[in-house]
Amino acid sequence: MTDSRIIESMKEKRNTGKFIRTWGTLMGFILLFVIFTIIRPDVFPSGRNIRNIIEQVATLAIVASGVTVVMVTGDFDLSVGAIASLVGIVCAMLMEAGINTPVSIFIALLLGTAAGFINGVLVAYGGLSAFVSTLATMTAFGGLSLLLSRGTTIFGLPENFRFLGQGSLGFIPFSVILMVIVLVVVYLMLEQTTYGRRLYAIGGNEEASFLSGINTKKVRLAAFCLSGFFAAVGGVVLTSRLYSAHPQAGSPFMLNAAAAVFLGMTAFRDGEANLWGTLLGVLIMGVMGNGLNILGINTYVQSILTGVIIIMAVLLSSLAKKKA
Amino acid sequence: MRKIIVLSLIAVFLLPIAVTAAGSQEDKADVKTIAVVTPYMANATTAYVIEQFKADAEQKGWKVRVSDTAGDFGMVVSRIEDAVAQNVDAIVLGMGDPAQMTKGLITAREAGIPVFGLDAGLADGVVLNITSDNTDLGKQTAQLLVDAMGGKGEIVMYTHDPHPGVRARAVGAEEVFNSNPGIKIVNKFHIDVPGPVDNARKITEDIITADSSDKSLKGIWAGWDEPAYGATQALEAASRTDVKVVGIDGTDFAKAEIDKGGSFAGTIEQDFDQMAEKLADLIESYMAGEELTENWYQIPGKLYKK
Repeated sequence: MTDSRIIESMKEKRNTGKFIRTWGTLMGFILLFVIFTIIRPDVFPSGRNIRNIIEQVATLAIVASGVTVVMVTGDFDLSVGAIASLVGIVCAMLMEAGINTPVSIFIALLLGTAAGFINGVLVAYGGLSAFVSTLATMTAFGGLSLLLSRGTTIFGLPENFRFLGQGSLGFIPFSVILMVIVLVVVYLMLEQTTYGRRLYAIGGNEEASFLSGINTKKVRLAAFCLSGFFAAVGGVVLTSRLYSAHPQAGSPFMLNAAAAVFLGMTAFRDGEANLWGTLLGVLIMGVMGNGLNILGINTYVQSILTGVIIIMAVLLSSLAKKKA
Repeated sequence: MRKIIVLSLIAVFLLPIAVTAAGSQEDKADVKTIAVVTPYMANATTAYVIEQFKADAEQKGWKVRVSDTAGDFGMVVSRIEDAVAQNVDAIVLGMGDPAQMTKGLITAREAGIPVFGLDAGLADGVVLNITSDNTDLGKQTAQLLVDAMGGKGEIVMYTHDPHPGVRARAVGAEEVFNSNPGIKIVNKFHIDVPGPVDNARKITEDIITADSSDKSLKGIWAGWDEPAYGATQALEAASRTDVKVVGIDGTDFAKAEIDKGGSFAGTIEQDFDQMAEKLADLIESYMAGEELTENWYQIPGKLYKK
């Protein structure tokens, strides 16, 4: 083999590796979709079921968008589930106390942002690791939710509160419209603004960003505020969807949002948190849950399969990286 | 900035401790202390029965400390060990399977501290358990569902086997369904805790989509009220009022939903007031040195339907 052929073959391998790395997870998602469609062609690809899937993942996508912002900087937010639960409880309690719905929602969103602010201060200004500080605030916010609600379910909320999580404009559920708005706003912020570029710069190299004049503390603080805000939006929508508030209703968000962002890091951008990747991660989890339920697969087996899929995605991505 | 954060955190940390310590100064030395350990305080009924027990115990002049481990069974063992280290007079398990707490139960027994089950279960080291007759709760709600369905159709069951009470309910319900030839159990789903309402809602959305052409699904049996509530919401959103749902526990939100006359056909109330009161009395007798003849006490349930 001549030198030029060897170089050619190496280039080819690198290109294949890059292709798998960029598009592999999306291809996996499409494959998953095709498999479920083949097994249940009458149900799985139907318009109604697609609407189901998107509606089911809407709240997780909103929360995971905020987590993506934090993870772009290389930080982590474990408290989003606890913030969502706390916000739901407070919002329900305010409405129960007779405060009108929009004001209750506004206060609840402020509370979520304030919770994110506390995380941001601890991490950016207190110098604590994001993992440890958000683990601590997760516990504290969780305790506060239980304390406020006395561990009980709050129900009997105003009728006009139903719209956020259960209403629709035409045939599109309102929660899905909210999800799209959040995705567009976060995408524009990450990709089209100076702030977004600063987030990525900090994620790439915080020290170099600081030396180049970026106020890294402020940028990280704002990222946590955004994560808290979007967790709050998710919490309010979930409370409306369930038409009741539960002190641990948001808890599943914590692991699911992290799993979605990690899955998303294997797509489109090389190992970096990115919004479209996160959306893909959310959709993979939604399609898996929905498809396996439709097939009537045992729920314990579903958990095993979900874990296997995440490992496979990350493994394939790292193999493709080695190949390149 | 760090100093301000540290000082603020110290203040936040010390405030409740100071308040509690000030309160405990008033405690008399001979006051009996009961530690309640639970993995399920976020569950509405667990919270209610524990609050009732606390009220009954406090009326007897005892001091009650409640620890919740938020679904962490490993932590339940640690909390039992903590209670032993604090030399409490008795430990109450607020639901949860004592079979998973063996290490803690051994520690308590070695220290001579009695452990009582409040809607938990029996295991070596547990003096007694007081509970509803969970198998009967399952049977009664299953029969209610069969009747609401007119005696025929397909059923799915929402279960949570790690909870011994819910597991016993499912066994009782299944017995009733199997004895009705017109009823077919097509699937059983494990419901996640925390998040049972949303989890049940999503599963219901999926299964009614799968069932949309034949509409053969006619009933959903849930092991407790929260998943039944989630299922009802999904059915209501899809206008599948032909599918009937039953839950167990008689929670306020379930009763409110049943009163509307939709898919939620009924629940069964456990007499938590009596359960809590009876346990407090039994503990009092035990601590007074009386010999208890039984180790399993059952309180009957009462159906609630439209």
